[in-house]
Amino acid sequence: MKLKKYLTLTRAGIIEALQFRLSFVVMVIGNLLYLIVVYFLWKAIYASAGTDVVNGMTFTDTLIYLVLATALFNFMEMYTVWEIGRNIQSGKIVLDLLKPMEYRKYLFWSYSGSFVTQFFLTFLPTFVAVAVVTHGAVPMGINLLYFVISVVMAVSVNYSIDFIVGTICLYTESIWGINIMKQVVVLLLSGATIPIAFFPDTLRTVVNFLPFQSIYNAPLSLLLNGSPDTETLLTTLGTQLIWCIVMMAISKVFWKVSLRQITVNGG
Amino acid sequence: MSAIIEIKNVSKEFRVLNRREGLKGSLKDLFSRDYKTVRAVDNISMTIQQGEIVGYLGPNGAGKSTTIKMMTGVLEPTSGEILVGGNVPYKNRTKNAQEIGVVFGQRSQLWWALPLVESFRILKDIYQIPDEKYESILKLYRSLVDIEPLLHKPVRQMSLGQRTLSDILAAFLHDPKTVFLDEPTIGLDVAMKSRIRTLIHALNKERNTTVILTTHDMGDVDALCRRIVIIDKGRMLYDNDIGHLKSFFGSYRTLKLRMDGGLKEQAKLVQKELPGFSVSADDEWISVLVDEEKAKIMDVLGKLQHSFNIRDMQLEEISTEDVIKKIYEEGVQ
Amino acid sequence: MKRKGLGFYAKIYCKILAQDLKSKMSYRADFIISTVGMICTNIAGFISFWILFRNFPSINGWSYYEMLFLYGFSLVSLTPVQCFFDNNWSLRQNVYTGDFIKYCFRPINTFFYYQSEVFDIKGLGQLAFGLGTLIYSWIKIGLGFTPLMLLKTVVFMITASLIMIAMQNAAAATCFWIQNSFYVLDLAFRFKDYAKYPITIFSPVFRFIFTFLMPIAFIAYYPSLVILRPDKVPVLSWLSPVIGIAFFWLSYKIWMHGAKNYSGTGS
Repeated sequence: MKLKKYLTLTRAGIIEALQFRLSFVVMVIGNLLYLIVVYFLWKAIYASAGTDVVNGMTFTDTLIYLVLATALFNFMEMYTVWEIGRNIQSGKIVLDLLKPMEYRKYLFWSYSGSFVTQFFLTFLPTFVAVAVVTHGAVPMGINLLYFVISVVMAVSVNYSIDFIVGTICLYTESIWGINIMKQVVVLLLSGATIPIAFFPDTLRTVVNFLPFQSIYNAPLSLLLNGSPDTETLLTTLGTQLIWCIVMMAISKVFWKVSLRQITVNGG
Repeated sequence: MSAIIEIKNVSKEFRVLNRREGLKGSLKDLFSRDYKTVRAVDNISMTIQQGEIVGYLGPNGAGKSTTIKMMTGVLEPTSGEILVGGNVPYKNRTKNAQEIGVVFGQRSQLWWALPLVESFRILKDIYQIPDEKYESILKLYRSLVDIEPLLHKPVRQMSLGQRTLSDILAAFLHDPKTVFLDEPTIGLDVAMKSRIRTLIHALNKERNTTVILTTHDMGDVDALCRRIVIIDKGRMLYDNDIGHLKSFFGSYRTLKLRMDGGLKEQAKLVQKELPGFSVSADDEWISVLVDEEKAKIMDVLGKLQHSFNIRDMQLEEISTEDVIKKIYEEGVQ
Repeated sequence: MKRKGLGFYAKIYCKILAQDLKSKMSYRADFIISTVGMICTNIAGFISFWILFRNFPSINGWSYYEMLFLYGFSLVSLTPVQCFFDNNWSLRQNVYTGDFIKYCFRPINTFFYYQSEVFDIKGLGQLAFGLGTLIYSWIKIGLGFTPLMLLKTVVFMITASLIMIAMQNAAAATCFWIQNSFYVLDLAFRFKDYAKYPITIFSPVFRFIFTFLMPIAFIAYYPSLVILRPDKVPVLSWLSPVIGIAFFWLSYKIWMHGAKNYSGTGS
């Protein structure tokens, strides 16, 4: 029964998403274009390197990694910061706070519909296409299961980060500035634009201690590694889980504290 | 007097998308779309003289805004001819814009973050208003309203009434031949409404500016217009002197009642009780249209009180909607 | 009525621009955060560039510093679109809410009036960043310096800017016809990220596409060849000013046509 109220939001989200068929076409073209550029760019890079393996990744590995990172990005992008920011500025937030649901959860489940559509309309086709085109370079085994588990945690970490950044909008009107900062930092440090394996050593060490690599690098490296040893597996998933919990806690507390501050001061 | 606006057999059609409902409907919309043509304005003709104030009335979606957009050159009519001050608006949009002023609904056209006087200065340049003309109009404004406190206040800090006032002043700034006012008094309190009406009236007198006024408020019409034009569903229903219309409807008032039980069913019973009266019901009220020459409001109320448990009542002047309803029912000669 | 010549429009532009700056000053926090956001974007872009290419002396015959030159060139040529045509991003919102109508009532060109309303100072940060990169790589490559080169650089940068402006205008104008035009605009905006790579890394088919169908190569590659490789400048480079003007004119026509077309729908 409890699930049903969430699923209603999911359904509404699906209907809403389908209203915009053109945006799908444009999005597919956009991603295709991006992938074409990525393909040729990395081809040129590998050609210049003179070896087949750079930083432990072959050309195919890198390509699969980046293609799926894009697909994951589209899958996870919820424009949370914009949504929260706009709701705060328009005052709609007051209505949302009155709903018999925690705001964090309400916002998440309102978007969950687009998870479903995005999964079937972009992620799955991309995944199948990549698997076919690379002639089975994507290992198909138990790693798929690890990948799914890892993605679920990645979604959670990503949402928590978004929500934390969104909460900042309670203090400032500058949604654009806040959002762009978050976006470039997350995309770069999570390994979404360049695999973390290519980072210089010091930077890689730093990045490994940050939550961002849990979003793209963790699930994708689990997927590409056909038979990870138990240690790698446990470290990757374990780190993700820790970040999952930590970020969720921070986002909850930060929201609560901020909201109290605002209501007390009558913002 | 000379004709400033001439409209001949003007129609405007739009193509709208039919959206299907539900999950299945949206899936279908993804692949095929179904358009239908809507006639927003249907064969309208009128001539307006320089210096007239014309009330342009009709319910929501009647085609008022569409007509105004055609007169301002924003829209091109599907068929028919429009001349505003000798210009074909959509062909010479900028030339036409130089000679008209527009206040559109509650959308301010002023610069949001700037004090009013800064907006005026930009408009002065855009409309190429000579210095002496600009000064003289400001002098006129000073004599009509207390604008000093407004001039140095950013528009975003103004109240709705002050903003509307400012928008109207901005629209008259370049001494246009015609000004279009769309719902200028909507959402304002009684005192502000009256200030705005006085201002419009004075500007019309001083400058002999033609004013086309769309409104839902019969009070605006009463205070300002000698002539009214009514349209509904894109068709012209009425174009004549307001006195003529008043002789038909002036003595009507609407008695609004709230009572126990379902309003729709109750309305039917009320109708049975009051044969010959026009009775209708919406979500909140049962409305009875009373012709005070034939029956006294108190008598009607007394009669109803016997058979119904009335919990609340209101008395309203006749609204545009009522007028239109009456025109449909009885027609105007 | 006096004729409205260039002088008239220049005067109006300055007036409206001054008002925009004044209003921006009343939102100082927003301005600062947005500027920091913009700087972050540029730094992140630079870091990505550095991570990718630092290990390779050359990519496909292009030295590291030549690549950097292209990068700087694209940043500088993107400044005008950022500074002067930023209001394109709000067009969708204006059309959707019906507020766009107010731009149609004035006795001046609608396109001009609309674009003049916003001047985005943030773009200046990008300009500084781009100029720095450009000068640094210019010196490192040892291109030398003559007044003629400076003239060429300016002319071809304007050319490059016109192409990007044209693409943004056309993309923004789609909102007059379709609902969710954000994706189109975002797609066109992402073109700038692809502009910084030499077109020779692509296969002939895509070289053709990126030259003639989606003229991304004109944003930096072709115009900068005039400076970078003066001994073998392709015809297309010399043609790029003409192409830039043509595209800009075309996009203006599309935009204006859309504005006319739009007025039909909003109420």
